[in-house]
Amino acid sequence: MDTHALRLFGVRGLTAIAVAAGVGALVLLAASVENSALFSRWQPWILLLTLCGVVALMVLLARKLWQLYRDFRDHKPGSRLTMRTVLMFGALVITPLIIVYLFSLDFINRGIDSWFRVEIRQGLNDALVLSRSALDLRLREQARRTETLARTLRELHGPELLQKLDEERRAIEAREIILYDSSGRAAAVSSDTPMTQQPTPLPPDVALQVAAGRSYVSLQPLPNGQYSIETAAPIADAVAAHSTRRYILIDYAVPKELSALAEAVQHTSSQYGDLSAVREPLKVSFRLTLTLVVLLTLLAAIYGAVFTAQRLTRPVQDLIAGTRAVGKGDFGTRLPLPSRDEMGFLVHSFNDMTKRLRRASEEAKRSRQEVERERERLSIILSRLSTGVIVTDRELRLHSANQSAATILGSDFGAGAAGAPLSQFATGNQRFTRFLDELRGRLQSGLLEWREQLGLPGDSGGERVLLWACTPLPDEREGGGVVIVFDDITALLAAQREAAWGEVARRLAHEIKNPLTPIQLSAERLRRKLLGGMNSEDAQLLERATHTIVQQVDAMKQMVNAFSEYARAPDMRLTHFSLNQLITEVAELYRLQDPAAEIRLELDPALPEIHADRGRMRQLLANLITNGIEALAGVPNGCVELSTRQQRAEGALTAVISVVDNGPGFRKEMLGRLFDPYVTGKPRGTGLGLAIVKRIVEEHGGRIDADNRPEGGAKIMVMLPVSDQDRLLLASSDRRVELRRERA
Amino acid sequence: MRRFTLVLATLLLLIGPQLAIPAAGPLDGEFEVRSAFIVIDRGVLQLNVHVEYPVNDRIRSALQDGVTLSFDVELNITRHRRLWWNAGVLDMTLRRELTYHAVTGRYVLRDDEGVEQESFPTLEEAIDRLGRIEDLPILIESQLKGEGPWLVAVRAGVRRGRLSDTMRALMFWSDDWHRSSDWYTWTLTL
Repeated sequence: MDTHALRLFGVRGLTAIAVAAGVGALVLLAASVENSALFSRWQPWILLLTLCGVVALMVLLARKLWQLYRDFRDHKPGSRLTMRTVLMFGALVITPLIIVYLFSLDFINRGIDSWFRVEIRQGLNDALVLSRSALDLRLREQARRTETLARTLRELHGPELLQKLDEERRAIEAREIILYDSSGRAAAVSSDTPMTQQPTPLPPDVALQVAAGRSYVSLQPLPNGQYSIETAAPIADAVAAHSTRRYILIDYAVPKELSALAEAVQHTSSQYGDLSAVREPLKVSFRLTLTLVVLLTLLAAIYGAVFTAQRLTRPVQDLIAGTRAVGKGDFGTRLPLPSRDEMGFLVHSFNDMTKRLRRASEEAKRSRQEVERERERLSIILSRLSTGVIVTDRELRLHSANQSAATILGSDFGAGAAGAPLSQFATGNQRFTRFLDELRGRLQSGLLEWREQLGLPGDSGGERVLLWACTPLPDEREGGGVVIVFDDITALLAAQREAAWGEVARRLAHEIKNPLTPIQLSAERLRRKLLGGMNSEDAQLLERATHTIVQQVDAMKQMVNAFSEYARAPDMRLTHFSLNQLITEVAELYRLQDPAAEIRLELDPALPEIHADRGRMRQLLANLITNGIEALAGVPNGCVELSTRQQRAEGALTAVISVVDNGPGFRKEMLGRLFDPYVTGKPRGTGLGLAIVKRIVEEHGGRIDADNRPEGGAKIMVMLPVSDQDRLLLASSDRRVELRRERA
Repeated sequence: MRRFTLVLATLLLLIGPQLAIPAAGPLDGEFEVRSAFIVIDRGVLQLNVHVEYPVNDRIRSALQDGVTLSFDVELNITRHRRLWWNAGVLDMTLRRELTYHAVTGRYVLRDDEGVEQESFPTLEEAIDRLGRIEDLPILIESQLKGEGPWLVAVRAGVRRGRLSDTMRALMFWSDDWHRSSDWYTWTLTL
């Protein structure tokens, strides 16, 4: 559970506690207010629940106020508005509440005090005094009567006494007369009601007083609200000893009217006393109750003010947050509609605005994506172009370049090259440096458009010919941006030369080969006819002449045949065979023909069979070995080494044949034109050997390269695809060359 | 959090002492059930209780000012049960009121229904009479169902009486004229 969830749980829990405590206290109070026993039992719980409710409400309010203060301090959007609203609501609620509170406090004090005014107490006291006075008169009167009766009873005993008691009781309107002996036991009784039980003994306090010879009188309250007057007096017998003294106890009824009045005064006095005793506690209770109610109202009002303020300002906060989000580019912001009032209209307008902005943004995004796609497409096209493309400004800082440009110029622009000066990539690169010099010279001279050939240094000392063109960029005609497009047409030119030489060879074969046979036959016939009739000197001369003619004609035939072979249209008969086996056979033939020739083989036993024209491969190997052996003429410990290996190139499996020798190597000026017809470094070479080798390699879809070895000697490397599929793969990678050829 | 702790500590510092020191109440003094027992006389259970009630000038003065005091004696008898709550047998309250009769100058003791009434010339006599409950019939033996033992508890209480329930509800937190003794308990076996 995260912090936010915990906080939410806490707030809801506190709210539930506050509500439950308040409701619980109300229920308990309502249930117990009519039952004091229940109230006494539940009183602590009512108090506890009330306190819990107040505390929970205070905590909730404190949290709200703290949150409000923190938002205000942190300058959160809408916090000032919320604070102002809370203060306004608070002032509106608190001011009248405090006035009402103070007024109520004063009212309670004055009201309760008025219930116990001094006049009322004084009146009650006066009534009590009056009641006592009235009763005192009767008490004294009844006491006198008792004393009189006690005197009349002197020396009376037995039936005479009982008769006298009855007579006197009726005469003085007493309820009961009891005569006690000295031990406090009733000796005689006269009552206006039938006797149901034994008379009670003389009460000790009464006995004490009458034993001392004094009369006793007392006013007694009765349960029915009546009063009785109890009087007692000793009977003064003349000869009675202390042990035989008698006492008389008379119970007079107080008249009902007087009893009722006295009881009313007593009852009122008692009630007033009860109420008067709770005067101060009642005031405190009222004050505390009022304070608690006001406090609860105050807390609830402030909480309500905060809640209402936050509710009112929430749409404004949402609007501020939404505006900020839009400012940051988030046009998808949708605000909840708070109501259908003006604020709702404002939020609706905001939502409508963001909707329009989002549409516009999506349109712009789509356009950007379209432009991006076009750029990517252009980039792909540029990257697939065999033509090199460089975009630069007048200061020769690179804007963009494709891979072909880097390949042709022998450099690597790499990622993030935009903006870098072109000279940075030309360091140590003779070809690029030359290219850059030419470009700089033209741009500095104000030349912005051209299309011409440019010769640059090749990889192996030869020359690479570029066809380059420059065009100023349309939108930067004033600023100076240019686009340079260039093609490596070295191979194209070679192909053109090759085609030209093929045509020459075909014509030579056709025009020269035909007269050679008659010339040879004529020379032999001359020799046969004339040799017998000549002297030895002439015969020798003829012999040498015809021999020379025949020999030279043979040489010319060989040369014509070679030209014919070079110009012959390809007629491939592809079969599967072992290249290693073919190399071994051809090498063995040369060892037989020229035992002095040292031919070493280093063949890869894992080399697979290749799909090729076996005859042409034999011719290719023969030309290469012949070329090597002839290069070793006059070289001590000369050696030709043939090796094979398999290699993956552009995804295609190829067989690589390397032919190296330790001879003098190729002459540097020939390196660029080694495979051109009629280019030879040997005194008697036709110059067609390597040209034919190259043609055979190309007919098989392979590649050929020739160079000098650093340790001396020449090295020719032939790469042949193993299968037709590999041939296609290799050919597709050479598509740029093919495209150039097609365009040519 | 530190600020909240500081505020709480300050509040406790201000309010704590007032809560800790109890104010002297009008019913302060010795107040306990000294003894209590039940005797069975001809199949009737009779309660005898001796309660020591407080007597002081505040009580005397309050009574003379017209205040009525209620004296309650609560009796509770339960039957012990194993592994379960005890079963209730009897739950009764004997309530009496003591007032000062200003017209006659006597202390009047009556039951809460006003049927029986006694008056005493002094407060001490009235309190002494209140504290002695003798042979009060509470049950007949056959009402003690099941087997014992029974748990008996007696408690005495004093409070200011003759207040309406509404008034009592309003004063529930400021009425210090209310005190109860501890429970006096014993086991009753037959």
